[in-house]
Amino acid sequence: MDVDLPGRPSTVKTLPGVPGLGGLYARAVLPGWPRLPGRGGEEPDDASLPEVTYRAADVVADPEHLVRYQRLLGEPVDDVLPAGFVHVLAFPVAMALMVRPDFPLPLAGMVHLANTVTVARTIRSDERLEVHAWARGLVPHPRGTQVELVTEVTARYGAGDAMEVVWRGVSTYLAKGVTRSGVGAGGSAAAPASAPFTPPMPTARWALDAGTGRRYAAVSGDRNPIHLSALTAKAFGFPRAIAHGMYTAARALAESGVGRAGAGRSGAVEWTVEFAKPVLLPSSVAVSITGDEASGFEYVGWDARRGKEHFRGHVTPGAS
Amino acid sequence: MPRSPQTPTTTPRPPASPTPDGREAVIVGGNRIPFARAGGAYADASNQDMLTAALDGLVARFGLQDARIGEVVAGSVLKHSRDFNLVRESVLGSALSPQTPAYDLQQACATGLEAVIGVSNKIRLGQIDSAIAGGADTISDAPIAVSEGLRHALLKASHAKSLGARMKAFASLRPADLAPATPRTDEPRTGLSMGEHQAITTATWGISREDQDALAAASHQHLAAAYDAGFFDDLVTPYLGLVRDANLRPDSSVEKLAKLPPVFGTSLTVPATMTAGNSTPLTDGASVVLVASRDWAQAHDLPVLARVVDGETAAVDFVHGHEGLLMAPVHAVPRLLARNSLTLDDFDFFEIHEAFAATVLSTLAAWEDAEYCRTELGLDGPLGTVDRSRLNVVGSSLAAGHPFAATGGRIVATAAKLVATRAAETGQVARALISICAAGGLGVAAIIESAADPSGQPGSGASADEAAPATGSDGAW
Amino acid sequence: MSDTYVSLVNGGLGRSVATKLGLPRPGVLRRHTPDAPLAPGPVLVLGTPASTEADAVAQLLLSADGGSDLDVRRAAAGDATRWGAVVVVLSDVVHPSDLAAPMLELSGVLRSLAPGGRVVTISRAAAASDSPAVAAARQGVDGILRSLAKELRAGSTANGIVLSDGADLGAPSVLAALRFFLSPRSAFVDGQLLTVSSTAGTAPASWDRPLDGRVAVVTGAARGIGAAIARTLARDGARVVVVDVPAAGESLAAVANEIRGTALQLDITAADAGATIIDHAVSRHGGLDVVVHNAGITRDKLLANMTPALWESVLAVNISAQLAINEALLASPAFTHAPRIVSLASTSGIAGNRGQTNYAASKGGVIGMVRATGPLLADVDGTANAVAPGFIETEMTSRIPFATREVARRLNSLQQAGLPVDVAEAVAFLASPAAGGINGTVLRVCGQNLVGA
Repeated sequence: MDVDLPGRPSTVKTLPGVPGLGGLYARAVLPGWPRLPGRGGEEPDDASLPEVTYRAADVVADPEHLVRYQRLLGEPVDDVLPAGFVHVLAFPVAMALMVRPDFPLPLAGMVHLANTVTVARTIRSDERLEVHAWARGLVPHPRGTQVELVTEVTARYGAGDAMEVVWRGVSTYLAKGVTRSGVGAGGSAAAPASAPFTPPMPTARWALDAGTGRRYAAVSGDRNPIHLSALTAKAFGFPRAIAHGMYTAARALAESGVGRAGAGRSGAVEWTVEFAKPVLLPSSVAVSITGDEASGFEYVGWDARRGKEHFRGHVTPGAS
Repeated sequence: MPRSPQTPTTTPRPPASPTPDGREAVIVGGNRIPFARAGGAYADASNQDMLTAALDGLVARFGLQDARIGEVVAGSVLKHSRDFNLVRESVLGSALSPQTPAYDLQQACATGLEAVIGVSNKIRLGQIDSAIAGGADTISDAPIAVSEGLRHALLKASHAKSLGARMKAFASLRPADLAPATPRTDEPRTGLSMGEHQAITTATWGISREDQDALAAASHQHLAAAYDAGFFDDLVTPYLGLVRDANLRPDSSVEKLAKLPPVFGTSLTVPATMTAGNSTPLTDGASVVLVASRDWAQAHDLPVLARVVDGETAAVDFVHGHEGLLMAPVHAVPRLLARNSLTLDDFDFFEIHEAFAATVLSTLAAWEDAEYCRTELGLDGPLGTVDRSRLNVVGSSLAAGHPFAATGGRIVATAAKLVATRAAETGQVARALISICAAGGLGVAAIIESAADPSGQPGSGASADEAAPATGSDGAW
Repeated sequence: MSDTYVSLVNGGLGRSVATKLGLPRPGVLRRHTPDAPLAPGPVLVLGTPASTEADAVAQLLLSADGGSDLDVRRAAAGDATRWGAVVVVLSDVVHPSDLAAPMLELSGVLRSLAPGGRVVTISRAAAASDSPAVAAARQGVDGILRSLAKELRAGSTANGIVLSDGADLGAPSVLAALRFFLSPRSAFVDGQLLTVSSTAGTAPASWDRPLDGRVAVVTGAARGIGAAIARTLARDGARVVVVDVPAAGESLAAVANEIRGTALQLDITAADAGATIIDHAVSRHGGLDVVVHNAGITRDKLLANMTPALWESVLAVNISAQLAINEALLASPAFTHAPRIVSLASTSGIAGNRGQTNYAASKGGVIGMVRATGPLLADVDGTANAVAPGFIETEMTSRIPFATREVARRLNSLQQAGLPVDVAEAVAFLASPAAGGINGTVLRVCGQNLVGA
């Protein structure tokens, strides 16, 4: 991964620390916020993304937090930060960007479409990390408008103060039913040709109980009400609570074992997920994780009874 | 079948037996209690109760009262934390000398067979002269644990230095944490039960419902016939009023089995074929086998049924679906045969543990599949065909039941008696191949062969070995 | 299984109440314990006036072979001696009038007999070839003995040794039988005449372990009488193979472990049962000397209601299996060192019992079988005998309704039921090397049951 950072807006706003997600959600959904995007009011005619990079420095993992994450996701308890944990650590910086008044899309009702994470090397729990986040790729989508949030994590290398990018995440979101004039059609406008899903042979089954969302919320800080209980989820139009998409992706990552420290492993990995139907809780998710350590794993999860796809992705060892 | 080639698992090594000084490990006999269905006759019996009963029956059969046995090695798959010294405690409660050492071993369903192989090796090394190997398992008296949340809270509280810290440890508890965690037989890494795993393998190999039911019916019929013929008179000692295996259905038939609804693989895209009738039920029981050096057996005027020739343990990468969970014996056997210069045609008996009827049938199918044997097992062609008339001739786990750790002892003692009886009839050495699949993608295979007194049986394996050790050729066996 | 009545009427209050009411007052039987003396007091040997045979018996008891642990006297001193036993030697009577002197002498000491005391007569069998007076005198002993046994109280018994054919007072089995009758081992044997018919048999090195070095097989040994036999044979020094049906294996294993024997689960009706037993005993214990046919079943039914299954199963287990196993034993070179076969008969087989035609057929059959088998073993100094238990406290008899059981218990001279060990003691005695002169007979262990002979 190159250390030069293309596409990162040169205006940098340094946050005093990584913000809490709870506060960000509150700002996104509570009335009284100066301008609630997408909820009435004046629509920006010529929508564009804020030309700013958010930065948080001196980010260090809390060891107890790390253990709780490792236990929940089935990662080994050691001093390596799983790629999914780094996401938990860094993503609030991107979220802070999304709740800016000038962000062109409403956070409430935003759907996480896909996520790609690239890890350059093993990240140790005592490393002092720096997070940069910015938005890009505002394009129309058949069901609305999509945007990408890029989060980059850098860490020192060598003896001096030189920093290298060790983790980079691109999260693709869809603002359903939101159209913005002036949004160029340069992106992935065409609807993905949705071939009918044929379940493969499962290699695992995840029995996800009703508390799955609450438990991941506790370690990720993502207390979006749609994950917490059937009642709060109903308020947002879901019949039951839904599992965090990143929980399912992080669990697939953990079960693949790729990206962990070990003999002959640099920790470099590419980890992707695309989300289809949400996982309503409780649920028994059939999962197929196939491949091997050398060439990586493909994974897909689906509703075992209805045969509907929930998510898919891959975990591939990367070149360091 | 479509699968990406992996490193073939068959890499022949030089024959492992016999040891340079020709010491043999011989099977004197075995004992088990009848296997009960979970919640049945042994509902109130613990693993220690059952293992002690199995030991006492063995002691009675062979007059081992107060004998100091070299070592007793056994185990349980579902084990209470209080049973950390299960086997030693059982020995202390038995009629054996309290000076008999013991240790616990656990290798899932292969526990009993691995114990036999382990003690045989010690005997062949001359470290011990006699040993008892076996296992016990109870579903009825299985441990129930507290939830992970409560467990962490309890541990934290017990390490806490102040009342406040102790209170804090419990503050995070939720009502759901107070519910006990029932024991899981699911594979920890996949969340799939053994049956679900086998259902995938069954579908992959296209094993038909009819073939599975036929195998299950045969198991019941064979076991019932063997009981009626008195075959188990010196292998089984009744316990708590149970005289025969509770799961045995002598009137089982393909027609009756065909009526049962499938229970595993019901959410796969292919029709489900595995039923309660062609799968082993959850079972309670215990078994032990007496293994010794030939000298020890002779000095104690004990019979010699068979000798343990060799054993091989394999493991497969089942976690991501590359291989079936219960297919490890498929890999272990060709390695074992290669090392001993044997083929499937060299065996009089095949004792393939019937975890599910489909497990046995998948195993046989794999060995007959040229492509699979080439890519997965590294063979030149198919391993071969198992003569079905030599397979599980006195029934197996489908009929007898399968108390995980107790199955190895059941099978080893059964196979030893089979080869001894056959050798007595024919005057020829008889040989049995044993294979047991286990959780975690493990599988253990072993070869035993008849071993009547070499002086009385010219041409037996033992005498040939002593004359020309380690030739590894067919003729040496 | 415990007889509370016996304890009750032997306690202080119970005893006086029972005496006043004229209730039966069964005595507490003297049973074997290690280190207990052979007799509970001095042994008085009586005989016809100036009987050299009585002197010989006294000498026998005092000899080293006899155990020399006895206080043996030839005359009552007229003091307050509580006699442990009185041996009445009548082997030299030639006319019924010869009986008067010794019997009247016995009469004088009977009241001095200790509780659990013994009267043992020694006589010769009356035969058709005897002169009428000799035969009358000898047969008269029978009547005396049986009557006297019914008169004794407080757990005392009377039994007789009858010499026949070539046996004389010096036959090892005479001493063995005498010691058996004097000892607590014969607690429930009462009113019985045991015939010694040859000089075969050898006195043991130790009377405490007469079966040392012997290998014994006991069928039906998982519980009850069979388990007691196994324990007793083991106590007497035998290495014991306990045999029972596979279904009884749990208790069988417990018995085997208790007595340090081996358990053999076997259906004795199997065609190769005999071979299996011989093979097990020889390969595991180096030989086979004693076989106790104890296994037996009851399937009671009035003959009018009898079914083939009920009839045949009883006959198959109780007699046919024994015949087949004996056949294998007789053909085996292993079974040639003064072998012993002891078979369990029953008083039902002698006196009959309502609802037990099948059972009585088998048990009567046993009596016939041993009578005919004994001679076949004689040339290897072997014997075949039967023991016929009366009412014994077992799991089986505990299922008899209370009133019936109470009556049955009292219907003998000892006014109580026997224990399994009482049967076992008789079996162990017949199995011992010293009993080689006793062959083809039936020894009843019934407290002189009123039923039957």
